[in-house]
Amino acid sequence: MRKLEQLLITLSRDAAIANPAPHPYILSMKWIVTAAIYLAVTLLVFRWRPDLMQKLQDPWFVAEIAALAVIFIATSLSAALLSFPDLHQMRRLALAPALLLALFLPLVFFSWSAANPLAILSTHTYECTLCLALIALLPATWIFFEMRKNASTHSRWAGAMAVLSALSIGALWLRLHEVNDSIGHVIEWHYLPMIGFGIVGAWLGKILLKW
Amino acid sequence: MSDQIVDFEVLMQQALQGDQRAYTDLLQATVRLLRPYLAKRLSFTAETDDLMQEILISIHKARHTYNSARPYKPWVYAIARFRLQDYLRVHYADRLHHALALSEVENYFPQDVTPVVFSYESISGEIAKLPPKQAAILKMMHHEGATAKETAQKIGMQVSAVKVAAHRAYKILRAKLERI
Repeated sequence: MRKLEQLLITLSRDAAIANPAPHPYILSMKWIVTAAIYLAVTLLVFRWRPDLMQKLQDPWFVAEIAALAVIFIATSLSAALLSFPDLHQMRRLALAPALLLALFLPLVFFSWSAANPLAILSTHTYECTLCLALIALLPATWIFFEMRKNASTHSRWAGAMAVLSALSIGALWLRLHEVNDSIGHVIEWHYLPMIGFGIVGAWLGKILLKW
Repeated sequence: MSDQIVDFEVLMQQALQGDQRAYTDLLQATVRLLRPYLAKRLSFTAETDDLMQEILISIHKARHTYNSARPYKPWVYAIARFRLQDYLRVHYADRLHHALALSEVENYFPQDVTPVVFSYESISGEIAKLPPKQAAILKMMHHEGATAKETAQKIGMQVSAVKVAAHRAYKILRAKLERI
């Protein structure tokens, strides 16, 4: 009991003005805008696919790109919320990516069903997964760095969301850069590895977001 | 200051602006708020005090993640729950680490706690009809008095495999002896 009283005195003495953490909307907006700039720059540097304008006429391709963008926004917001101990008291919003990922699966399935059998097949395999990870590395590092400033009580989820958010940027970059119309390849080498990386993100979250 | 008249949000807002008096009042009120919550979940007062200290330090570290636009109690309970789970995880992991396996102490049991209806000798005929490995295991464990670990070492099997084989042999014997 004496120790507790002593601690109260010590903590009170240390009560300097605390700079409040930014609101999760502002925090996630910062990540989204920076990641969008990063995506644009990397596309300018590595060039976008030459048939991009033609592909934008394909509704399934547009739907896939739009879904990835929405997942990116939702996972960024979720990661920002999960970096607060009480999820900023917006639990449902923090769990929204789960619903979006569930909706993404039928979209991929329909894209698969509608895929043209004569579509250009990719010669890449693991190179795509590697590119995905490399493009996502910088945004992931930054998001983790920013999240560490807060105090997450759901470190595994927060880590998984941070990595999925960064990977969504990687996946967007790949779809806009690689000349590839094989949905089978996209599922096998782009989207399925994202699940694996998400699990790695949960593990990283447990380690890096400890406080 | 009783809980009924404590305005946690106002105190926290003042504390975030560097008001030491408000911060002391807030922490004291938080201790009063959390003590019953922790006492219900932990066995000893010393444990509650230790954990309370950790929670207070966590509140101090995370105070910048709070703003008075949202209620204080869900925020503080989220931190308390997180630290409690951490504490319990470490506590049970430690207990598990120091726990003894039953096979390590079974030699110290003075006698069987259940009455022995059949001795090994009286059913040795039935045991001999079992598959050779199961019969050998039962002989070692019940005739020679070896433990599962010792039996496993002697016949070069895993302890779990010995236990499974013995269990299967018991089942066969039980079925046969019930018919007698």
